[in-house]
Amino acid sequence: MRLATHLALTFALALGVASGCVTVRPEQRSFLADPTMRFDSEPADEAALQHVLENREGSFGGGSVEGGGCGCN
Amino acid sequence: MVRSVPPRWARVLAQPLLAGLVLWPAPARAQVAEVNLRNTLFHEPSSKGSQMTVINPALSLSVMPSDWLTVTGRYEADIVSGASEPVKAGPLSTPDIISQASVKDLRHIAGGGFTLTRRNTRLSAGYTYGREEDYRSHGFSVSTGTDFFQRNTQIDLAYARGFDQVCNVAYPESRDPTLRQSLDTSDGCFTSSAARQALDIDINNFQASWTQAWTPVFTTQLTTTFQLINGFQGNPYRGVVIGPTGQIAQEHHPENRARTAAAIRLKYYVRELRTAFGLSGRGYRDTWDILGQTYQLDAERHMSSWLRVLIRGRLYSQTGALFWSDDYTGGEPFYGPRGQYWSGDRELSPLKSAMIGGRVLGHWQGAKGARNLGMFLSSSASASVDLVNTFLEDFTLAGEKPDDTFALILGLNFNGTF
Repeated sequence: MRLATHLALTFALALGVASGCVTVRPEQRSFLADPTMRFDSEPADEAALQHVLENREGSFGGGSVEGGGCGCN
Repeated sequence: MVRSVPPRWARVLAQPLLAGLVLWPAPARAQVAEVNLRNTLFHEPSSKGSQMTVINPALSLSVMPSDWLTVTGRYEADIVSGASEPVKAGPLSTPDIISQASVKDLRHIAGGGFTLTRRNTRLSAGYTYGREEDYRSHGFSVSTGTDFFQRNTQIDLAYARGFDQVCNVAYPESRDPTLRQSLDTSDGCFTSSAARQALDIDINNFQASWTQAWTPVFTTQLTTTFQLINGFQGNPYRGVVIGPTGQIAQEHHPENRARTAAAIRLKYYVRELRTAFGLSGRGYRDTWDILGQTYQLDAERHMSSWLRVLIRGRLYSQTGALFWSDDYTGGEPFYGPRGQYWSGDRELSPLKSAMIGGRVLGHWQGAKGARNLGMFLSSSASASVDLVNTFLEDFTLAGEKPDDTFALILGLNFNGTF
């Protein structure tokens, strides 16, 4: 329960900081919207590579989700 | 006057049907379809006969009948051929066993799903069925995501549930694990054969991700993953030498495993170089006491209006599982049993790996009203090459280091919208 409380507080604090720091306006997103700046811009390619690597390692997870915070989804 | 009241099940069914009828007449504005063809080749050469080759062709088709709906179907296969050691022995084991058994397998995976999109929010659901001679899987997944703070912040949550089954020898539950023998063939699996049984594996995956744009050229992503697995987690074909006189028993792993990983990724665009640099780090831990860490660096650049090139490098290291030993026949550590389980799985041994590779991708956007190759509004094709070298710290096959530790991964990908 203590861990969950700490995680929730950290998450809330991080979001608060994030909202206060937001300075990227829509007209400034040209670089962020570029596919080279997207996490997993080629999801099928990344998933296939991850599939191979996870079969040769004892670990799992932490994989990227699509998106780049660029508003281009 | 008596009014007939429809039964409760009919009312329950009628509500979503009515809602669907109300939504259905919405004009189909998008009407775009996307096809993806991919083939991945994994090859691990060996001069000792334990080479492995996996070919993974895949096809997916997504249809967007409306602005708010995407429906996807996909199929892929894993075509496995090669050889592996059916018995894991250590340097102290007698007799010295390094024999190979040929491995041939074909796995089919088919699935489908949909995504609903409304303004800044997405909701997806999907189902996947996997089938091979000795393994079956049903996977259900749901995910949702939203953008806020002027779309500078993105939160994604995902949950997946797997109902898998693996074939094994039909031994009674009461049989001591030291007396269980490994499976020698998949013949009779998932039939009424009295010599086979199907063992359940339940898998729960949770993932949360926070993506944040901090400046016009800098963005980060924080991802955490939790996985819970319950069921048979060994390789039913693998035996392990567990006695000084050469007694062999089927690999025996714990039935429960909780795994967690956290990763941070950074992307920074250097305008002067017209290149996006990515840096990521991942930490991993599970209840089998494996600790892992991964670091990756990549750079991607537009070489022209249609061509971009990516190079990447990755380092990985992990500790061994708590019960891992290279030889279970010794009296005490370093060689000897560690608890009540035994394994011949080198992925549970302490190891490091290094990967280097890259990708070349071409993207073609048709002029307004024109189509590429006579049918695609836009299309892209890519080819990737990655080389992985694994350094096994204390894994041997009867005292000899395996030589199938170098792997080549080739990928070909085509994507088109029409």
